[in-house]
Amino acid sequence: MEKFVYIALFAPFVGALFAGLFFARSPKTHLVGIVNSSLIAVAFVSAVTLALHVAEHGAVHVQMMTWIAVGDLNIPFGFLVDEVSVTMMLVVTLVSTIVHIYSTGYMNHDKGYNRFFSYLSAFVFSMMILVMSDNFAGLFIGWEGVGVCSWLLIGFWYHKEDKTFEENPSISPSWAANEAFIMNRIADLGMLVGIFLIYWNVGSLQYDVVFKALPHLADGLLVAIAMALFIGAMGKSAQFPLHTWLTDAMEGPTPVSALIHAATMVTAGVFLVIRANPLFSLDAVHGVSMFIASLGAFVAFYAASMALSARDIKRIVALSTLSQLGYMFAAAGLGAYWIALFHLAAHAFFKALLFLGAGNVMHAMDDELDIFKMGGMKKVMRGSYIYMGIASFALAGLPIMAGFYSKDAIIETAFNDGSFIIWGILVITAGMTAFYSFRQVFFTFHGEERYKALGFHPHDMYKYVLVAMAPLAVLAISFGWFMDNFHEFITKNLPDYEMSHETHHLAPYLGTIVIVLALIGICIAYIKYAGKGDKAWKRNEKKENSFIYKLVANQYYVPKFYDEFIVQPYTVASDKFWEMDKAIVDGTVDFIAKVIYVSGDVSRGMQNGNLSSYLNWMGVGALLLVLGAGISAFIG
Amino acid sequence: MTHILSILIFFPALAGVLGFVVDKRSAKAYGIAVASVEFVLSLWLWVGFDNVNAGMQFTEFSPIISQFGISYNLGVDGISLFIVIMATLITLLGIISLRDDTPNMKNMIISLLFLEMTMVGVFVALDAIIFYLFWELSLVPMLYIIGAWGGPTRVYAAVKFFLYTFAGSLIMLVGLLAMAYLYHLDNGVWTFNILDWYQLHLTTDQQFWLFLAFFAGFAIKVPMFPFHTWLPHAHGQAPTIGSVILAAVLLKMGTYGFVRFSLPILPDASVYFTPFMMVLSIIMVVFTAMVAFAQKDMKQVIAYSSVSHMGVIMLGVFAMNAEGLGGSVFLMLSHGIVSGALFMLVGVIYERTGTKIMSEFGGLAAVMPVYATVFGVMLMASVGLPLTIGFVGEFLVLLGFYKVSVIGTIIAGSTIIIGSVYMLALFKKSFFGPVTHKKNLSLKDLDGRELTALLPLVAIVVWLGIYPKPVLDPIDNSVKALLVQMEEHAELQTTKDAIIISKKEAE
Repeated sequence: MEKFVYIALFAPFVGALFAGLFFARSPKTHLVGIVNSSLIAVAFVSAVTLALHVAEHGAVHVQMMTWIAVGDLNIPFGFLVDEVSVTMMLVVTLVSTIVHIYSTGYMNHDKGYNRFFSYLSAFVFSMMILVMSDNFAGLFIGWEGVGVCSWLLIGFWYHKEDKTFEENPSISPSWAANEAFIMNRIADLGMLVGIFLIYWNVGSLQYDVVFKALPHLADGLLVAIAMALFIGAMGKSAQFPLHTWLTDAMEGPTPVSALIHAATMVTAGVFLVIRANPLFSLDAVHGVSMFIASLGAFVAFYAASMALSARDIKRIVALSTLSQLGYMFAAAGLGAYWIALFHLAAHAFFKALLFLGAGNVMHAMDDELDIFKMGGMKKVMRGSYIYMGIASFALAGLPIMAGFYSKDAIIETAFNDGSFIIWGILVITAGMTAFYSFRQVFFTFHGEERYKALGFHPHDMYKYVLVAMAPLAVLAISFGWFMDNFHEFITKNLPDYEMSHETHHLAPYLGTIVIVLALIGICIAYIKYAGKGDKAWKRNEKKENSFIYKLVANQYYVPKFYDEFIVQPYTVASDKFWEMDKAIVDGTVDFIAKVIYVSGDVSRGMQNGNLSSYLNWMGVGALLLVLGAGISAFIG
Repeated sequence: MTHILSILIFFPALAGVLGFVVDKRSAKAYGIAVASVEFVLSLWLWVGFDNVNAGMQFTEFSPIISQFGISYNLGVDGISLFIVIMATLITLLGIISLRDDTPNMKNMIISLLFLEMTMVGVFVALDAIIFYLFWELSLVPMLYIIGAWGGPTRVYAAVKFFLYTFAGSLIMLVGLLAMAYLYHLDNGVWTFNILDWYQLHLTTDQQFWLFLAFFAGFAIKVPMFPFHTWLPHAHGQAPTIGSVILAAVLLKMGTYGFVRFSLPILPDASVYFTPFMMVLSIIMVVFTAMVAFAQKDMKQVIAYSSVSHMGVIMLGVFAMNAEGLGGSVFLMLSHGIVSGALFMLVGVIYERTGTKIMSEFGGLAAVMPVYATVFGVMLMASVGLPLTIGFVGEFLVLLGFYKVSVIGTIIAGSTIIIGSVYMLALFKKSFFGPVTHKKNLSLKDLDGRELTALLPLVAIVVWLGIYPKPVLDPIDNSVKALLVQMEEHAELQTTKDAIIISKKEAE
């Protein structure tokens, strides 16, 4: 089985090198797209093989070689394929394969086609390291690796200029890439501190050793470790207040958004909490876990509220991702790790589908993102319409769809835990989710054909691309049906979460509330946005100028706040420090040099070649010496 | 192999003397040949190096002035071995990267070869007088390189560099003489042998003053805040090759001095001064990183970032555990490789456009993709990305220093944030966005000469990032031996407690 571990891990790496080393400077060639897609598919097949093996024989653990060994520290390149990591591997490689195939169509006309595949495969490799590592340092390699790939891919169209937006002072792919990288770095510092804490108190960074040692550690220490690690998770998973980078990251190509900023990388934080469940489920860190759950619920609502009025098709999807990440954290924080993982997987499928569908729309509309300019496109883009419809049904959590099972389980968990505030928020958010998802669908595909007046000629994506997206659609519908199998498989590794009898009894009613709310949301969206002719949607300038609307449209002024109270003060302080460095620090040095120079200049007057003046100075000198000797004799 | 260290020191010097009679046009080829031989010799040193032996190897000893215990005494251990190899490598690549139309090429080559002698000499000297000789001699070729090939205010910069560091080293010399004198008082004989000094028991009071004397010499060289201001001037005026060697090797003399002299000879004072050093280092890390962000000139960004990273190295030196100190020695190497490469890269664009101001660039990634890629790799190494050389040292230093001070580590750890702020800002300003200046559209990408100089560095960045073991093992051995020596030698119990050689043994 070791063989498959290495194949799954290194096949994407080979792809990245293949595209990067041999084809980076050559003109676009479909060879790269085909080879890289196939290599990712190979990784997927290996992951499936491993999953079957793990289900039957348990985890596979390989150690490749030593990475860093100094003092007592010993970090190997070790890879652990157990129930948790193999689930992630399956999700990552499956979505990656589809996104790779999709990209051969989507990036077809791009100059940087080969470069794109190099980055994309490198990302998959980093992500595999992240999920497969058997220690925290290895996780950190993947953690930073996906960060860099995300930086490269968000900034893929680096040649674009900074533009001024309403909610952002200036934005461009390269700006967004830097923002994402730096914001993640802030969180990474927290993660590093967590790693240091673990090392100095446990003496190892291997998961098994650390988790075994946890019960022996002091409570305060455990809380500190949990907090530090969660700060790391907050960055990658874009939790408040480190969330602004995610919506800006939509500057990258859409396949990137689908793969990195919806299905895989942003769920790394959730994965970390699930992976470290022995830590987060300890009684001592219950407070931290509750904080995670509460923050998750807050973010779920917060992001959904911004999605209600967003106009940018990709930002809507990004905000819904943020909101769903909140759901996952809520589940993980409440101790339902397997449900969080289940929702993570389900979400990866339907959200990738939704994003790729949005990508088709963008592609058809010449990269236009404003849904106000679309409408009635279902005629010309039937395939994408169906896909986006399925994905939105799944996201809204309607029965038989994947999201129904996974999201409902999370809401039930909150109820079961007695956290009724979290439950309430999640239920309301579910209604909002249905509304904004279908608002987007109706705006794009129903109603008046607003795009016609603007001179667009949309056409649907290549057929083979639409076919390649089919597995995602199938999974978006059916993934939930396998909930029991998944439960049986995953609880060998993750703690089970049992609902109480009461909850079980109430579950159908609770589910009904959510469904009814979702249906209401969809109906409102339909009435408002899907009408034609007289009933067609019209812009309401007055409403758009209202305070609430502006507040939400500007992302609650958080980006503005960051710009004004962090970025600009930092810039000003840097300039001031530079001034200080020149004027004070260097000034002092120059002053000393000047004093010496001037004193030399002045005392040069003594050397005037006049014998009598020399004698005078000699007398003065002798007098001073005698005086000095006298004083020292007196004191001494 | 018995005299390999002497050969390593004097071969470039001898070749430098012979260089006076070499034909002008073949001067560069001659320089490459000599530097290659020297580099291969240093690799041979590594081949013959016994990884298990933590002590001094390839030692050479012959008395010079026996009355005063001054002797010709050389040796390498795991700490100095790789710095020597790095010095010869950077010299070789630096010479390769020289433009063929450099004015007075012959003088340049001769200066570089003399400089190489002094650099190797400093790191292998085990006698304080020999150490001091090479230490001071290294100023002369560098002074000449800045003064003769530098920018408009080169004389000011060169003199400042010379006088400032010279003033510091004079105070250090007083410290060295005092050491010999104290040894004489104790044992009745004079010696300048550093290893003998390790055995000397000094009172905490003596250690205090000696530490300050050494500090003056080393801290200015590092350069530690607030003694760093000569460096931006020197880098600003120095030609590319000068900056490369200055940043990669000469600065390491300061940190190496702390490791070789201050720690083992003055263990109590070193522990006593740790908070003081921590504060200075943290100011270095944060303050200069912010100053780097404010720069308009690409080379100045790299110059200040260099100071900022040296601050991380200094933290590691005073971590008093194998993780931190080992990481710090490794970081000296990685900083040498990465900053050397970055200065070369700045040189590339300066040679093409005649400017280093970032607003004159913009969109270079589209015009010079290979250049942008190499720059990107070095950028990632500079911000400490895992699996590049930059991560290993930085991670170990921060990990090690965590044991000393949690708050200090968190503040210094912000280097991973603010370090990426100025580097990414630099990259965005220079390489991203549309090509704003028409004249930049016709820029040529890296040519064969530049690639020959840069690709080996890229290879090392990746190799030692993924597999640092061959380098880390000898470093780890020698660092542990040094810590054991410190602990045994310390006068105070608090000092012994502060030094952690192995947690497992302590438990």
